[in-house]
Amino acid sequence: MAVNWAQVIFNSVVTGSLYLIGAVGLTLTYGLSKFPNFAHAELITIGAFIGYFVTEQLGLGWPMALVVAFISSGLVGFLCCRGIFQPLARRGSSIIHLMVASIALGFILRHSVGAAWTWKPLYFTTHWSAFDVGPLRITGLWLWLIISALGLSLVMHLFLMYTKMGKAIRASSSNPALARASGINVDRVIWVTWFIGAGLAAVAGVFRGADTQIWPMTGWDIILPVFAVAILGGIGNFYGAIAAAFIIGLAENIGVVGLMALGVSTTYRIGIAFLILIVTLIVKPEGLAMLFRRA
Amino acid sequence: MEDALLKIKEVSKHFGGVYAVNGVSLEVHRGGICGLVGPNGSGKSTLFGTILGLHKPDQGEIYFQNEFINHLAPHTIYERGMVNAFQIPRLFYSMTVMDNMLVAARGQKGDRLFNSLFLRKNWQMQEKGLIEEALDILELIELEPWAFTPASELSGGQRKLLELGRGLMARPTLLLLDEPAAGINPVLGKKLFQKLKALSADGMAIFVVEHRLEILFEFASWVYVMDKGRIALAGKPQDIIDNPNFYAIYLGEE
Amino acid sequence: MDPLLYVLDLVVFIGIFGIVSLSLNLEFGFAGLANFGKVAFFLIGAYTYALLSQVGVPFYLCLIASAVVSAIFGLLISLPALRLRADYLAIAILAFGEILRLIVKSEDWLAGGDWGITVAPAISVAGASHRVDALINIGLVYFCLLIFFFIIQLLANSPYGRAMRAIREDELAAEVMGKSRTKFKAQALMIGSAMAGVAGALYVQYQYSVLPGMFMPMITFTVWIMVLLGGPGNNWGVLLGATLVEVFERGTNIAKDYIDLPVDPSNLQYILFGALIIFVLLYRPQGILKESKIRSKVQRLAFNGRRSAKNKGS
Repeated sequence: MAVNWAQVIFNSVVTGSLYLIGAVGLTLTYGLSKFPNFAHAELITIGAFIGYFVTEQLGLGWPMALVVAFISSGLVGFLCCRGIFQPLARRGSSIIHLMVASIALGFILRHSVGAAWTWKPLYFTTHWSAFDVGPLRITGLWLWLIISALGLSLVMHLFLMYTKMGKAIRASSSNPALARASGINVDRVIWVTWFIGAGLAAVAGVFRGADTQIWPMTGWDIILPVFAVAILGGIGNFYGAIAAAFIIGLAENIGVVGLMALGVSTTYRIGIAFLILIVTLIVKPEGLAMLFRRA
Repeated sequence: MEDALLKIKEVSKHFGGVYAVNGVSLEVHRGGICGLVGPNGSGKSTLFGTILGLHKPDQGEIYFQNEFINHLAPHTIYERGMVNAFQIPRLFYSMTVMDNMLVAARGQKGDRLFNSLFLRKNWQMQEKGLIEEALDILELIELEPWAFTPASELSGGQRKLLELGRGLMARPTLLLLDEPAAGINPVLGKKLFQKLKALSADGMAIFVVEHRLEILFEFASWVYVMDKGRIALAGKPQDIIDNPNFYAIYLGEE
Repeated sequence: MDPLLYVLDLVVFIGIFGIVSLSLNLEFGFAGLANFGKVAFFLIGAYTYALLSQVGVPFYLCLIASAVVSAIFGLLISLPALRLRADYLAIAILAFGEILRLIVKSEDWLAGGDWGITVAPAISVAGASHRVDALINIGLVYFCLLIFFFIIQLLANSPYGRAMRAIREDELAAEVMGKSRTKFKAQALMIGSAMAGVAGALYVQYQYSVLPGMFMPMITFTVWIMVLLGGPGNNWGVLLGATLVEVFERGTNIAKDYIDLPVDPSNLQYILFGALIIFVLLYRPQGILKESKIRSKVQRLAFNGRRSAKNKGS
């Protein structure tokens, strides 16, 4: 069986880019607020629908879609944190209760979106040109995705390393009590993190929606691989997430080759990320955190 | 001289490079109260934790009743007869005082799945006896009126007493106590130690950390002084008091 | 559809999910295990039943097999899982459930893949109406429910239950007091999985078919809502929770047929569900019925005995 390895590598970068954008928000909020937010899936979904709304229903074009989606989802994320998770945490809710609350929130958001638009799959009408570069098949969408992932990572890196808020986020992530004692307004740090995290999720949602379809389960379709990235990279660790995203992207795409070679159904593709997730949790729950500086 | 019930040989335990317990050797025998004193941070709680099986010793050996216990799980060590009362009580606050006492009893038939379902009469008989025992102990520690109230409703001092009561309930061979009389009025504290002394005369071995030196020295037959993870002094209470180094250690002077 | 049939159907579902709720109550309410993969064991029991009954094994043996196979999986999971922190365990088990669903979806030779296979009802009477079928199933399901309820109540009100609650509250303290947390948690997971497996079997024989689409994570979440709403640690509570949630779920489906709403009722239903759970978590996290006290006959007698002795004395 002849394998176009160049294409496999390229596809891995594409997959990794999507997972990266989706996972940054999850890993940061998980690390900061200390619970897995399952509503992150819906933050992705909202992004997809807002993107659809902006391009298809308002006709404002693709870049506008990304910006509006980022802000909208960002606001929703912030409201969820401020309005539900923080009050629950103040009342002494355990990790499990917060997790269940996030699942419940997911119901609300998912079905609100389904009610406001529809449960039937929607599609972007934007036409993405496809062209060949040597052995590679590339579409404009995928290029946008890769460039966005790299660009956003760079921006996040600069933000975390060189801005006051970025440094505050890193400090609060590793030692909230110390951060508070040093005069950092940890609450504001939390809000900003949730806003940015949700916004990035939305961007992932727009791309995912464009690549496949837009429906209320858009986020859920990729949430477990996104969790895998967050955990493999080390919860709360931005740099780890970058590495993990591309590792999992690679594993999935190489895995598809392997599945085809073995004659096994390729629907198992998504199971590869699940397996990585389970194995990481069991064998080394801190993931790659050791290799990467905190945040 | 009777073989020591608890023998610790050159035990060390470190956390991230800091040695909390550094080459400690000691023995605890039956028939007396053995005291452990030392300034804060000298490693007493870590030593207890290591003996109980909560931490695995990095070096050294621990023998209980001549059995090597370094690798045993805490629940197994408990079944062997080594029982502990924490300095800060770890009660089960969602349960009643009586239930807390009953949980502590060793060798309960009802703990096993099969028995609890199919041999009900069996464990119910045992439980009846255990309840009587529990009520007796509760009377001793002046908690009897609260026997069937939730543990969460007890005051701080009462919680400490219950922690001790649970330890007694287990009918231990060796009882490890971490500051059992802290937060308890002196009269009751003295009464408790008298009871402990009587129990030790009957065969129970008691190893107690206690800051109130006057209590310890009235009731203990042997004392170890710990400092910076090591045993600094050991001997009969009178010899320790007479030792000029003792106060220096305790007050942290070098 | 015939209104009486609606009600009978509802009763069957309350029974089936009552069993699953009791199983989660044992694992989470009593043993403190956050099992977010309930549907995985529901699935295992369902497919075990389906495959065995297809080859002609009598239904009662199929049910027992469902319990046993699910219990074995529960035990296997407990080996790596019990050491994990609560949230890691939850995520891992959730992923495990999805892997199982992926397998039954993809492996057509196993049980028809996406299209599933038909499952014969456990007990069928020739020429019976739908109502009679429903009644038969009520009998079967509630028979199982009663047995499980009995078992769980016995365990809860015994030293075994007491040890389990101790582990739930303070694992380390319980361990130091002689309760092996691994043993109790593993046993809780095994029993809980067996129960979920039987419930899964009952479900598919009632639906006459088994499909991967029946085993979405939504089932796990629904059961969690039943337990949290009704009151974790209280067996009557979780049954109440199961009843309320099923009535609500099916009620809105029925309402759809009779009332015209501006919003599609199934969307509204889930939005209200979600809001309800958040409300409960914020304002009544212990659920409708508080955790049940350990009801021990022996203790009660001692309590009364002591009290009357005091009265006589004074």
